[in-house]
Amino acid sequence: MSTMLVGPQRGDLTAVSTHPATILGKVVARQASRSGALWGLAFGVFIVTQTFAYTSQYKTQAARDGLARAYGTNLGLNALLGQAKALNNVAGWAEWRFIGILTILGSVWGLLTATRLLRGEEEAGRLDLFLVGQTTQRAAAIQAVAGLGVGLVAMFTAITAGTLIAGHLSSVGLTLGQCFALSLTLVAGPAMFLAVGALASQLANTRRRAAAVAGALFGVVYAIRMIADTNTSVHWLIWLSPLGWIEESRPLTGHKLLLLLLVLALTITTAVAACWLAQRHDVGAAIFAGSNASAAHVRLLGSPAGLAVRLVRSSVAGWLLAVAAFALLVGMTAESATTDESGSSGIEHALSRLGRHGSPVEDYLGLTMLIVAVIVALVAASQITAIRGEEADGHLEVLLVRPLRRTSWFAGRVALSIFVLVATGVVGGIGTWAGAATQHADISFGSLITAGLNVVPPSLLLFGLGALTHGLWPKATTTVVYGYLAWSFLIELAGGLIKMGHWLLDTSVFFHMAPAPAVSSNWSSAAVLTGLGIAGTVIGGLFFHHRDLQNL
Amino acid sequence: MAVPAIRTEGLTKRYGTSTALCELDLELDPGEVVGYLGPNGAGKTTTIRLLLGLSRPTAGRAEIFGFDCQRQTVAAHRRLTYVPAEANLWPSLTGEETLHLLGRVQGRVDLGYREELVARFDLDLTKKVSVYSKGNRQKVLLIAALMSRPDLLVLDEPTGGLDPLMEQAFRLSVREAREHGQTVFLSSHLLSEVEVLCDRVAILRGGRLAEIATLAQLRHLSALSVEATFGGVPPDLSRVPGVVRAVADGCDVHLQLQGSIAPLIEALAGTDLRGLLSREASLEDLFLAYYGPSQVLDQDAPPAVVAAGKSDLP
Repeated sequence: MSTMLVGPQRGDLTAVSTHPATILGKVVARQASRSGALWGLAFGVFIVTQTFAYTSQYKTQAARDGLARAYGTNLGLNALLGQAKALNNVAGWAEWRFIGILTILGSVWGLLTATRLLRGEEEAGRLDLFLVGQTTQRAAAIQAVAGLGVGLVAMFTAITAGTLIAGHLSSVGLTLGQCFALSLTLVAGPAMFLAVGALASQLANTRRRAAAVAGALFGVVYAIRMIADTNTSVHWLIWLSPLGWIEESRPLTGHKLLLLLLVLALTITTAVAACWLAQRHDVGAAIFAGSNASAAHVRLLGSPAGLAVRLVRSSVAGWLLAVAAFALLVGMTAESATTDESGSSGIEHALSRLGRHGSPVEDYLGLTMLIVAVIVALVAASQITAIRGEEADGHLEVLLVRPLRRTSWFAGRVALSIFVLVATGVVGGIGTWAGAATQHADISFGSLITAGLNVVPPSLLLFGLGALTHGLWPKATTTVVYGYLAWSFLIELAGGLIKMGHWLLDTSVFFHMAPAPAVSSNWSSAAVLTGLGIAGTVIGGLFFHHRDLQNL
Repeated sequence: MAVPAIRTEGLTKRYGTSTALCELDLELDPGEVVGYLGPNGAGKTTTIRLLLGLSRPTAGRAEIFGFDCQRQTVAAHRRLTYVPAEANLWPSLTGEETLHLLGRVQGRVDLGYREELVARFDLDLTKKVSVYSKGNRQKVLLIAALMSRPDLLVLDEPTGGLDPLMEQAFRLSVREAREHGQTVFLSSHLLSEVEVLCDRVAILRGGRLAEIATLAQLRHLSALSVEATFGGVPPDLSRVPGVVRAVADGCDVHLQLQGSIAPLIEALAGTDLRGLLSREASLEDLFLAYYGPSQVLDQDAPPAVVAAGKSDLP
């Protein structure tokens, strides 16, 4: 035992940061650059493999001309990916395909990343820790936006690596300038929606609402671009959509790169507005804070199942509306999309090459129902991650310390999710039928309801994979589910035009879905997917029952 | 003999190579209020999560009123309610909606008492949880736990964020619970709270139960707290027989003394002593005796009082 002296002696203070006021920017930059580099890497790999596959499969000019005849006039594909103008050469094909697909995915990355790193951090209260240091709200917002910019640079670097490798394949021969121009165009969408996400983070007081606001804006500009690309009489609409500016820039064939200056100006304006608004609201609040109080609505709050309905009803309504609108649009354009402008049978020929054997409208709808399948799979991913979120946020604990079995709660959430998935598929079928009916297309209600149900089994498999991960390794649920969904989507897109190894195609859940209504549904394959999904859910539920609850 | 409200036997939880809780033997009688103390990471929350069936034990078992916490979870939960340290509620629900939901899931509510509690804790139920302060979110969970009048209240640092007035409301509610024969298991860092409310105190150290006894029993065993003030630099009193802890602060020396005070009085004779104050150990003194600086300085030294299981003290 010894006497301990208590005194004021302390060690000398050591500077551990040369610029403590900019630490927030560094933190955001680190997180954004990790994510940006990862997505950019995936995009780069996609660019390289797709380019290689194109040059391998369409070796002759005749084959490329055939491809151009078939897809260059396909209004459906034009609506989804933008107008294809020079598919008979690798530059035109690469421009259409990569800008069409990667701008969508990159924009979604942008809005999700910005809302996560700005509104998400503010909502969690972590921004407070920085704001009590040597910074202000506006400076913090500027730093955060700059940090997002670093993430964008990381994405650009990874994409450029991909375009340089693809461009220097012997049969492609893109110049260095063309590779950089393509890369620059590919990050225009992500840049713009990083800024939109930053702005939405100042407008809405929760991450979910901010993402919904930014997502709705993306939906509007995408829809405008789609309409402009499907109807020549209103093609001028394309100038109302920033996504249209990106499409029209055509860095490899059109050389209208100056249009990207418009995107840049809009991005900078939006980012500046976000920084300006950042100090126009209290920390943790937002410009549109919503209602802080309301009368009690307890109709659904009599049970955990009712609570689940209450919690997901808004997002499910949004999904159903989006699917219905998309399906309606697809149905309305099905008849015109299958009418070749030159009167040739190019589309039929091309679709037949892919194994489609229905009428032109059925073939077209079989192709576009893949998009509905992806949306339903996204719903499945959102449902299982919401289940994990209830546990991670500590909400589930509040219920499970009461007389409620884990298995009962889990079964209730699973039943609700399955109902939502089936409903989304059916709404997709009904919407397509309603749209096609307005154009007097010759396709029956029953076949489109069947086609709607046909897209559900892949989502059930994805849900089962998520439930299994949730039971075994809960913290990886989101990564595994969205990672596998992205993988399946990319493989399916790549496999649509390019021959790939069967084993590789097999890894995509969508490859096992028959393209109804182009062909009859493959119910045995659907049963296997459903069975695997149910098995994953049951096994995942058992593991969940026996493991520790894991909050964040 | 009444079935214990809580009974654990060799309850152990390991995370990989780290042992969070080691062979806990604990028994709470119905109707008593027991404080559960320990520094951060001692295993308090781990114990509670095992009792609630939220975590699975590596070894041992736990019962709530005779119901196995792992196999008969629902039956056990019918007899208890729980207030966690962090109030994680659904931000889109109002306070009213949250209480309605939690009452329905629990299965029974004393509606009159609920209104009384809402008034006592001065909570505006029309507001959404998202705009509640931390203290107000904690009030929602306290009201939800108390309004069902459970046989057992498991409280894990329940008053974090409450102001002193609400702290008084909480103490009143716990006293009412005891008067109604309810058992309370209170994990807390507020030693004054535990000192005022609890019949017995259990002390955890490094995942093991170091002691469980009444405050009177602990005081009897514990050191006398002595504060000596000198005219100049204090002498080294750490080697005086009976002194178990000595902390010098300028001209003052704070001593913990076990056994007779005579050797200390002898040692002080002839020194420049200006003042001497002795008092019975508070719970804070007891706590520091288990976990305080001298223990930190000398990790190999045995704690002042170490015993396993329910106290066999006189």
